[in-house]
Amino acid sequence: MYNLIRAELFKLRKDRSFHVLVLIIAALSLAYPLLYYIDNKSGGKPQFTGAEFLIKFVASNGYIIKFSIAALAGFFIASEYTTGVMKTVASSGNDRGRLYAAKLIGFSAGAMMISLIFPLVSLAEVSMLSGFGQLPEGVDAFFLPRVLRFTLLYTAAYAAIGALFTAMFTESGKTISFLMVFFLMINTILGGLGEYIPVFTTVYDYSVFKLLGDIGKTRIDGGDVPALLLVPLLTIVVSGLLGVLVFRKKEIK
Amino acid sequence: MSEYVLQTNQLSKRFKGSVALDKVNVSIRKGSIYGFIGQNGAGKSTLMRIVAGLAFPSEGTIELFGTGTERELTEARKRMGLIIEGPSLFPHMTASENLEVNRLLRGIPGKDCISRMLELVGLQGTGRKKVKNFSLGMKQRLGLAIAMLSDSEFLILDEPTNGLDPMSVIEMRELLKRLNHERGLTILISSHVLSELHLLASHYGIIHHGKLLEQLTARELNDKCQQYVHIKADQPDRAAMVIQNELGTTDFEVMPDGAIKLYGYREQSGKVSTALFSAGLTIEQLMPMGEDLESYFMKRIGGAGNV
Repeated sequence: MYNLIRAELFKLRKDRSFHVLVLIIAALSLAYPLLYYIDNKSGGKPQFTGAEFLIKFVASNGYIIKFSIAALAGFFIASEYTTGVMKTVASSGNDRGRLYAAKLIGFSAGAMMISLIFPLVSLAEVSMLSGFGQLPEGVDAFFLPRVLRFTLLYTAAYAAIGALFTAMFTESGKTISFLMVFFLMINTILGGLGEYIPVFTTVYDYSVFKLLGDIGKTRIDGGDVPALLLVPLLTIVVSGLLGVLVFRKKEIK
Repeated sequence: MSEYVLQTNQLSKRFKGSVALDKVNVSIRKGSIYGFIGQNGAGKSTLMRIVAGLAFPSEGTIELFGTGTERELTEARKRMGLIIEGPSLFPHMTASENLEVNRLLRGIPGKDCISRMLELVGLQGTGRKKVKNFSLGMKQRLGLAIAMLSDSEFLILDEPTNGLDPMSVIEMRELLKRLNHERGLTILISSHVLSELHLLASHYGIIHHGKLLEQLTARELNDKCQQYVHIKADQPDRAAMVIQNELGTTDFEVMPDGAIKLYGYREQSGKVSTALFSAGLTIEQLMPMGEDLESYFMKRIGGAGNV
């Protein structure tokens, strides 16, 4: 298993789409706060400090996570079906369950690295421009590490969902477009269904799709923490097991 | 220890509304080069993909290196390499990097095998050149290096010479012969270029519409290919009747130009001419002839009308 994970990490390191995504998101992460800085300066408004910027914009990272998972799933995983590499992988004498697990770990690692770019790069830039400042009253010092930990956890959960659909579609174009639409629409769909069938409201409330928006909250009630932790973990396990099932049954063309 | 690397037992594969493989029993001996002959869609690739674990049979079983359970088959696949429908490569990586991914995948310790394989296929000088900039011949050779990486004992090659220039075809053939001779490598190979296959294979399997029509050794094929007598008589229909009645065989064909191909009488052409003369026929031509693999294949599948 260890060698399979190493193979996936090696592929990730050499993957052009991963490099391009990192560069694009890093560039955006630099440009976004800079535009605010220039705008505020020319308008004579007070500048954001690093802490204020993080608290205000950390929720935007959710879009980056969704976009990058859709793109990486299409280019990093589905392209292996298109290029035929998956034939060599699947016939390498390794159990398909292990192959899928290694692929999921490599893919999640890539997505998790990307998910940290925006909060870390923009925070560093704004702090350099205007200083880190003070966290608002009532926000403890663990806010930043907690946000980063949850970011990683929720990215892994989204990656597990992305990998599952990639195993089903196997084509880059289909995978990317479906995941983009799915990740952008699922909140609306579940929310809308909940208005007619109440169980969907409960499902939505305890799904990673809803809870992703809560990880940047400055205050989290003690009672909410188990759900925030368990929901992504369960999502990873369930999506992972479903992915293994799909991949085991999949005929590779 | 089984003397066969691969045996299939009543192997069938059905897709929606069509039968790709119909109760196929293939046996491939250790150390042989098995030429798999069939038209497009005959079932060659389907069988290869099932053996490689890429597709699943609808019915029947396979035995690889004498083992047959799912777990054992997965393990046995570590001892084989494949190129199916072109080499599977990462275009943005170098040759060494492609081999490194596969080395890690197969859990091969040490990196020595990479340089060894590059040397084996003559790609040691490609350095930092990305695979996307390789010629098709180079890609095929790299595909072969990947297939051989874990010192494979069994290679599955589906149309490995497709798109190659004549020089690369010869190089590939010589390389495969060398690997077979020096390492005792067993090879299952399909090709549309039957003359090419004829120069390489020690055994043949002919598949048509998903059915395995025949398995034979190169010697048996040569015997069969050379055993017909070409007869041109003034009255072809009567000649055919005489052959059937006097020689008691129906193993002959009347060609559109009236010539008769009589099989199995190559060594007894005197008997044939006596029978025809005795019937008062004028023989314009009577000579033992051979045919190539292509003609034999066409005959086995029932002529060009069946293609």
